[in-house]
Amino acid sequence: MTRQTKEIIIKYVFFTFSLVSIIVLGLIVFSLFREGLPIFGKVSVKDFLLGMEWYPTSDPPSFGIFPLIIGSLIVTVLATIIAVPLGVMAAIYISEIAPQAIKEILKSVIELLAGLPSVVLGFFGMVVVAPWLQDTFDLPTGLNIINASMILAIMAIPTISSLSEDALYAVPREFKEASYALGATKFETITRVIIPSALSGISTAVMLGMARVIGETMVVLMVAGGAAAIPGSIFDSVRPMPASIAAEMGEAPFRSAHYQALFAIGIVLFFLTLFFNLVADYVSHKFRQVGSGTL
Amino acid sequence: MEDMMKSFKNNSMKWRYFKQTLFFGAVRLSALIIALALGGILFYIIVNGIGAISWDFITKPPTDSMTKGGIMPAILGTIYLTIGAIAIGLPLGIASAIYLTEYAKQGRVIRLIKVGINCLAGVPSVVFGLFGLGFFVIFLKFGSSILSGSLTLGFLILPTIIGAAEEALKAVPQTFREASLSLGVSKWQTIYRIVLPNALPGILTGSILGIGRAAGETAPIMFTAAAYFTAKLPGSIFDEVMALPYHIYVLATAGTNIEATRPIQYGTVLVLVAVVLSIDLIAIIIRSYMRKNKRW
Amino acid sequence: MDSDIIIKLNKVNFYYGQSRALTDITMNFRKNKVSALIGPSGCGKSTLLRLLNRMNDLIDGTRIEGEIFFEEKNIYAKDVDPVEIRRKVGMVFQKPNPFPKTIYNNIAYGPKLTSMNTDDLDTLVEQSLKQAVLWDEVKDILNKSAMNLSGGQQQRLCIARALAMKPDILLMDEPTSALDPISTAKIEELIEELKKNYTIIIVTHNMQQAARISDETAFFYLGNMVEYNKTEKIFTNPDVKHTEEYITGRFG
Repeated sequence: MTRQTKEIIIKYVFFTFSLVSIIVLGLIVFSLFREGLPIFGKVSVKDFLLGMEWYPTSDPPSFGIFPLIIGSLIVTVLATIIAVPLGVMAAIYISEIAPQAIKEILKSVIELLAGLPSVVLGFFGMVVVAPWLQDTFDLPTGLNIINASMILAIMAIPTISSLSEDALYAVPREFKEASYALGATKFETITRVIIPSALSGISTAVMLGMARVIGETMVVLMVAGGAAAIPGSIFDSVRPMPASIAAEMGEAPFRSAHYQALFAIGIVLFFLTLFFNLVADYVSHKFRQVGSGTL
Repeated sequence: MEDMMKSFKNNSMKWRYFKQTLFFGAVRLSALIIALALGGILFYIIVNGIGAISWDFITKPPTDSMTKGGIMPAILGTIYLTIGAIAIGLPLGIASAIYLTEYAKQGRVIRLIKVGINCLAGVPSVVFGLFGLGFFVIFLKFGSSILSGSLTLGFLILPTIIGAAEEALKAVPQTFREASLSLGVSKWQTIYRIVLPNALPGILTGSILGIGRAAGETAPIMFTAAAYFTAKLPGSIFDEVMALPYHIYVLATAGTNIEATRPIQYGTVLVLVAVVLSIDLIAIIIRSYMRKNKRW
Repeated sequence: MDSDIIIKLNKVNFYYGQSRALTDITMNFRKNKVSALIGPSGCGKSTLLRLLNRMNDLIDGTRIEGEIFFEEKNIYAKDVDPVEIRRKVGMVFQKPNPFPKTIYNNIAYGPKLTSMNTDDLDTLVEQSLKQAVLWDEVKDILNKSAMNLSGGQQQRLCIARALAMKPDILLMDEPTSALDPISTAKIEELIEELKKNYTIIIVTHNMQQAARISDETAFFYLGNMVEYNKTEKIFTNPDVKHTEEYITGRFG
């Protein structure tokens, strides 16, 4: 075998390896469909997605996941509302204002926060935040939307903050200098020049933070309270989609309708996060700044 | 207040700096809140968990329906699963990254692969759990086992490792590649002898962060590997294992006596956090050391 | 073909994507001579140099038309392995680029990996370092990292590394532009010495350098070869007005 053939073979071996991610993505879809699609022989897609009642173990069972979707969306939105200002402002602090030493420490803090296992945060929400909420607001339970949202916000902050920081850091220095040269204050430079230039990066960060929150399991499983109903206030319990899957899969008989329905929830969840990720990818490519000369 | 506003507007420079001070205050406060959140959580876990930690706690199995005794099988299980995830994720991730940085030319295929990697990174952990259940446990008939759990976790951390490896490979100066190729050394030998050895420290530190994630994940192993309780330690990769994250979940939500086992719960949480965060911290320290002592 | 011609370019056009970097270059390089390529930045001289050992293959979206003969063989023919060409055509880069290895291993790297006869690696290393006039300075620290050497020493190490492959031709891409005057002088002396055994093609920004060390000089402008002649002729009485203007510093 000549060296050239050998080199070509090596190249194709690596090419094959690089396809693994896509293959796995395909296998995920395959597995979810294989186990989950049969449910739609028993329930229509419309009744599944928009049905108001999730009673998978009643007789007859009902598989309406609308309350679960609402549960997921509400904690995601609320967590985003909490996490975005904190995360973005922290990113601004790190990239534009903080002295070098504090910058390094804060970056490590955010990285460690990202490293906290979700079960640990769930545990914290359960044994610390929940009793406190219950006592303070005199609630029947502290395991509710607001608790879950706060803990989820903690999980989203590292994603939002570190990606926003990258975006802010990438703003060319010329822009800042031009602004200062016109007599703008640091505040004006940040809000009128730096943030607008970094906006697509920050949007991507927010999208990815939301994708992370919507798919997060242990926190909502342990902290959201588990009520499969449309909530009336932020102090009510909900049962987001991942929580339902994790909580019920252990009890659902193999290939029963319930088991299939849980996989079908997985399909919904998969495509929901896929959508978020594709949008984030699109935004980051569409509006990416190339060099300092082009805008 | 009304007067104050007027005086600010009359003196526009003062007003502009007042806004700046206000904004900087808010920004600093945000950073402080985040730091306090981490500090508070860690402090609370350490204070409550430290009492449960003892030599026996770490080296003995649980007893009395998991209301007493230690967590040794769960520690061991987590170690097995993490090593398994590394064994799968690291070689695949490095190989992917080598193709993407060293061989690939810009084009549609590469764009597709990169989008695929980003999408894989975004797949929720519970969906990975379903995938592991549907594919490894059922379709490939591996059963709920170390093998199924490791494969699931390995693919979960694959995008992180690809990202870390890509970054480290790109950081190797192009001039090294050119120098080697100009000597008539083949491309593969250049990659193997020059590029990889120089990128390896960066690849490893970057990957450690993914490894920390594998050690702490719960949802992906719930249906693929983790057992509520095992009387024996695993004998092969086809056995189920206990694992720290799942053990915490079980004790905190479904134990025989949730309130009474709180100290054990805190202790287990502390052990898990210590394991995961020390893995991360090591990565962070090595990385900052490497940045300061960069050789090129 | 003239027997002392080692490289022959025939109507070479070269493109980066859509833009043409070299237009219709036809020229010969002669054996055991120093040929200098001069011209303002972006004139295509470095691109041309990198064509001679097929280093431009590494850049995405490039395309070549025409033929380049090295010892009568077209190096861009389908059946030619660029790796083979690079073993015979060594290269020294603008910035010294030693590997983060020991001095010894920098030199031994190429020979070890290219299945050259490496029975006596020590001798080869010593020989190469002596040829590059670096031996006396480094003979006691062969096992120290090459990164600790000074810039000038590193560049001579890179020359030694290229020489260890026993090439026929040495391509040099502005080899002294990152060095101080004393190191530059040493490298120039070295080139003078090396041309006894090697063909050297050097790209340089520095007109005095071209005048000092080269036998023949080619002036490039906007991807065209404007004039190619004996160095003496180019620098004293060029045929083309453009060349004269560049050499006398009226533009560039």
